[in-house]
Amino acid sequence: MKQENRNIEELLNGYIDDELTDRHRAEVERMISTDSQIARRLRQLHKCKMLVGALPHAEAPTETLELVKASLQRQVLVGRQRSPLDERQGARHLLLRRVVSVAAMIGLVAVLGAVVYTILAPPTGTEMTTMVQGPSEGQEDVAKVDAPGKAIPAFYGRLQLKTASLVAVDAKINRAIENSGLAGSVGLASEANRIVYTLTCSRESLRALLTDLEGVWNRFDAASLFVETDRFGEPVVVDAVTAGQIGEIVNSESAEARIGAAKDFAVSNKIAGLLPGKQVLTALGDRIGDSITIPRPVLTAAEKPTKKPPAKPEDKQQVHLTIVLTGGK
Amino acid sequence: MAEAAKTNVDDAVLVEQCRRGDSGAMERLILKYQNRIYSVILKMCANPDDAAELTQETFVKIIENIDRFGGRSGFYTWAFRIAVNLTLNHCQRSVRAGHWSLDAEDDEHNRQAKSQLKEFLSDDSSPDPAAVAQSKELCGIVAKALMKLDDSQRAVVILRDVEGMNYAEIANVLNAELGTVKSRLSRARSNLKQILETMLE
Repeated sequence: MKQENRNIEELLNGYIDDELTDRHRAEVERMISTDSQIARRLRQLHKCKMLVGALPHAEAPTETLELVKASLQRQVLVGRQRSPLDERQGARHLLLRRVVSVAAMIGLVAVLGAVVYTILAPPTGTEMTTMVQGPSEGQEDVAKVDAPGKAIPAFYGRLQLKTASLVAVDAKINRAIENSGLAGSVGLASEANRIVYTLTCSRESLRALLTDLEGVWNRFDAASLFVETDRFGEPVVVDAVTAGQIGEIVNSESAEARIGAAKDFAVSNKIAGLLPGKQVLTALGDRIGDSITIPRPVLTAAEKPTKKPPAKPEDKQQVHLTIVLTGGK
Repeated sequence: MAEAAKTNVDDAVLVEQCRRGDSGAMERLILKYQNRIYSVILKMCANPDDAAELTQETFVKIIENIDRFGGRSGFYTWAFRIAVNLTLNHCQRSVRAGHWSLDAEDDEHNRQAKSQLKEFLSDDSSPDPAAVAQSKELCGIVAKALMKLDDSQRAVVILRDVEGMNYAEIANVLNAELGTVKSRLSRARSNLKQILETMLE
């Protein structure tokens, strides 16, 4: 019964608020026409509604707008709220700043990445070649890398020879220079106990010269070859070097191979000098290289050239060798 | 209906301009709704100072959250939801703090106003709300009767009979079911009549 009254109340309220469907409206109209109590209740509800609706509308204080703006401004000042006005004015500036910041970040990351890569990444064969094999300072006349299809870098080096028979050996060397056809391309400087031959020639000419000098090699008390590099600003020094070793170093197929060969010979000659019975080994002469073999570094599979190496470039003026002959014990 | 649609379109334009930082649009929105919102809040809290402060707070909140307004309901409904929620929270705090003292003020109303209201509510009278509206004392009695209603019932009655919202809009503002609005309104009017009769005895 109570629930029924409640439903009737809601229907009556819906009726005076014009929120009923046609069916419910018809039902309410039927009820108020047949039930005086319901009709009386409807009038009371209607009066209540009219009383509340008749309350005068109040007007907001005139300063409301200014107070709202002031409040928003205060919040902007204390950082709670961004100002809608500032937002429009600063939007472009903010966007520009963001773009610049992002660009700066990308640049910084790229630089850092390059630095880290340079530090951590192992040097490749090509890089090593470039670092080790480049010509010494001021010599720009040859290619700096040993990539396929490019020229093999020129050889720069110095051969220091020491002999007790300075005059005899000098005569032998001069004869060998003439026999090799290098008389016109050798600079000569002579001091009291020191003769300097400056050669600028082809590999083929040097090979011929070294072949001629093999016969006099046993008259050298010391023979050291300085192979120039610009890696550390210091040459690779091969002590007790032989004519055959020089030929092999100079005629290496690549810059990397040249430095590798020089280092190998330096090590093997050093070991040979430290072995007991040096006299026996010395007697072996040039064959020491055949007796003691140290494996050379080889390129990894990934770095091995997959194509046939190109033909050697024209072999002219590729050797710059200074021979320093010193007399005395 | 066409007028309502025009109003909604205008609101949408103003809201969009306000989002882009147009201070002029923001001012127009405030000026457009400040009286209606203030009037509803005042009838809910019965204190002009509190109503002014709550109105101000409502608009600050509206501007702060204008980017979050999704447009699923009208701006008008959304703004009233903020206003009513702030006011209901305020009323709850005030009740807890014991700020209401309506009974003490009942004695101050003169007998003539009470007699006029009693006549209005009697079965035989023909309803003339204009006469009630002209009497400041009568309005005071009705306003105080409203304040004796439960907060949620008072909100429903004011939104319906003062602001003229339909049931669906009220449900949207109060975030309540339609059936809840119907039953709450029914109870509110019934209670209001009883309160008025008690006050007039």
